[in-house]
Amino acid sequence: MSGVHVRVRVGDEHYALPVEDVVEVAELGVVTPVPGSRANILGVRNLRGRVIPVIDLASVLGVDSSGERARVVAVDEVIDVELVAEPSEAVESELLKGAALIDGTLVGVVDVRSILAAESPEAEAQN
Amino acid sequence: LSAADREILELAGAETGDCLDRIEATLLEAEGGHADAEAIDSMFRDAHSIKGTASMVGWKEVASIASTMEDTLGECRETGEFPAKLAAPLLKATDAARKALADESGSGAGPTNEQSAGADVVAPAAPSAPTASRRGIRVGAEKVDRMLDAVGETVLHHRRLEHVLGERIVAAGDDIAEEELGLGERLLDELQDSVIEMRTLPLSSITGSFPRAVRDVATAEGKEVELVITGAETQLDRVILEGISDAITHLLRNAVAHGIESPKEREAAGKPAIGRVELRAGQREGMVAIEVADDGGGVSQELLERGEEVGSLADVLAAPGFSTAAEVTELAGRGVGLDAVKEHVESLAGSLEIRSEPGRGTETILLLPLTLALLRVLLCERGGQPFGVPLPSVREVVLATDVTSLSGRPSIERHGESISLADLAAMLGTSAPPLPSAPTAMIIASSARSVAVACDRVLGDQEVVVKTLGPLLAGVNGYLGAAILGDGRVALILDPNHLLKTQVAASLAVEAPAGQADEERSAPTVLVVDDQFTVRELQRSILETSGYRVETARNGREALERLAAVPEIDIVLTDVEMPEMDGFALLAAIRQHADRSSLPVVVISALEGEEDRRRGIEQGADAYIVKQEFDQQTLLDTILRLVGS
Repeated sequence: MSGVHVRVRVGDEHYALPVEDVVEVAELGVVTPVPGSRANILGVRNLRGRVIPVIDLASVLGVDSSGERARVVAVDEVIDVELVAEPSEAVESELLKGAALIDGTLVGVVDVRSILAAESPEAEAQN
Repeated sequence: LSAADREILELAGAETGDCLDRIEATLLEAEGGHADAEAIDSMFRDAHSIKGTASMVGWKEVASIASTMEDTLGECRETGEFPAKLAAPLLKATDAARKALADESGSGAGPTNEQSAGADVVAPAAPSAPTASRRGIRVGAEKVDRMLDAVGETVLHHRRLEHVLGERIVAAGDDIAEEELGLGERLLDELQDSVIEMRTLPLSSITGSFPRAVRDVATAEGKEVELVITGAETQLDRVILEGISDAITHLLRNAVAHGIESPKEREAAGKPAIGRVELRAGQREGMVAIEVADDGGGVSQELLERGEEVGSLADVLAAPGFSTAAEVTELAGRGVGLDAVKEHVESLAGSLEIRSEPGRGTETILLLPLTLALLRVLLCERGGQPFGVPLPSVREVVLATDVTSLSGRPSIERHGESISLADLAAMLGTSAPPLPSAPTAMIIASSARSVAVACDRVLGDQEVVVKTLGPLLAGVNGYLGAAILGDGRVALILDPNHLLKTQVAASLAVEAPAGQADEERSAPTVLVVDDQFTVRELQRSILETSGYRVETARNGREALERLAAVPEIDIVLTDVEMPEMDGFALLAAIRQHADRSSLPVVVISALEGEEDRRRGIEQGADAYIVKQEFDQQTLLDTILRLVGS
């Protein structure tokens, strides 16, 4: 199940997002907080006339990230768009599809759908 | 399940729903004894279509019910007669088919029961049109919303372009470029209107179930009732329609159960034995009015009087748990559930009115906005973040100067009523820098409840395109949605009902109340002229707090009318840009008037140019205040200088 991924940095860790799940990479821009929403959701922003929620990937994955966030998918830095081989390492997190070793760095492959599901109101109701 | 498959299933569900609606309508007519060969044919064909569609997509239960119906109707078709006694069992069968459809398709039958954004929009809408060519095309609602987003953003882009190029083009005297910019704006307006129109559906798309609901209640109550629907072609926003069907059904059931009297009572009162319930819809003052009227007994004199006391019969009847029914019947009392209806209507930025005449009947009116996509909101700012409140919910904007504390909670007094004052930030559970000692507050009112919501400043009222916050934020209470403002910022649109419910001991930095103006002295009267509601209310509040009496007008023409009607007006404060008659024209008219030529006039304008200031003074304005420099003290000092206090 290899495919093209967008590799990003979250804090000191590296993650990859399947390119099919990435609409575009943009500057974070102005985020309007939505009081009352969960902490993982930074707020909403205007993406060319659409109001879209901004999720903090670091907070979702429990990664310590103090750096300034520059990208809308709530990551610290986009490193590259590249082909990632099938995740070779199993991981315990439900939010990751697995992990792969790329140039000696362990890269977590993010399961975008699981993350969106985990952040939905239904998931909150179950917890 | 692929997107294409989902689309086919949605289409199949909608078609089946349409067929069931038609069968039901024909059966209701047949029950009265009129079913000709054509009606039987039409029901047979619909049953047959349902069977075909349902089998194709694997809804076994629906297909089986439709098949039974088809068999029964097939026999009628052969004999050419429809026995009236068949209507009841066939109606039951349509109910069973609807239920099976909901179970098997995993959604409701047709737009009536669909709450999600996945509902279909038929454009141009013509659900009852008999020929295929007039049916129009089904477009996913989310596609229309996406288009509306893009159009909205294009409009904002055009405004920025105008801002950047406008002055340069005018300076260069480039008429052609100026004309093209103007043309672009008109084209975009047209485009926006037509996309918004696509989001609308006729009321008839939800009226299908109403005759049945009325019939069922009437039968259960042993009454005879005729339902007349007019104005079903009235167009409403899809989102409003989805939510309003239950409310209308409730009002219709109420009208039959508690409005219409028993046949005996009606006879005794000299009325026709058959009661009449009317559902009327139409546009009124830029809103859509949906009225449910009955020719029944009306509410009691006592309730009418209480309604007059409170100022609204709807408020009396919609008080939670209220019922005018002497006994509790199987069905909801007149008022039971009315509170829910009222709340729902208000959450859509609409309102509820009730009129009644003892012995003659009752009329319930739902006033709804034409579209939820475009909403007039009052924009305010708290902690640097913009928020919007639907304008119909804002009673007035005040400067909260005399804040008193009632059992530890701050409150202000307006028109002899104590209204609790809360910090918007505290109400939303967020933090923001402390408010000034006399903050601006919006008085938000619905039914008998009201609350003063304090914010940093009010930005004005504006028509905005309301967008949903999306599924991830659907669980967060308190917002109707979000809107993108001209500068690209996102403003959250607050749900007024949520604000009213939120009981927060808001922490306001309250300073000791300032010395009150001596009200015994004869206070000068100020006429405030401005086309913006916010500005008028804000100025009224500032002036009234300082002890002035205030009259208001929305434009120059109205101002002249007020001046003629209220001779004691001592000074006029006027805006420049206003419809019908602007501030300079008003000023000229005042100066030309024999009795008023020396009346002090203060021009308050957004126009900053030195040119305008000169024009204002030359035409005889006594003072000129630019809105950007506007502050309370400048205004009060200017008025004090001109008329004293």
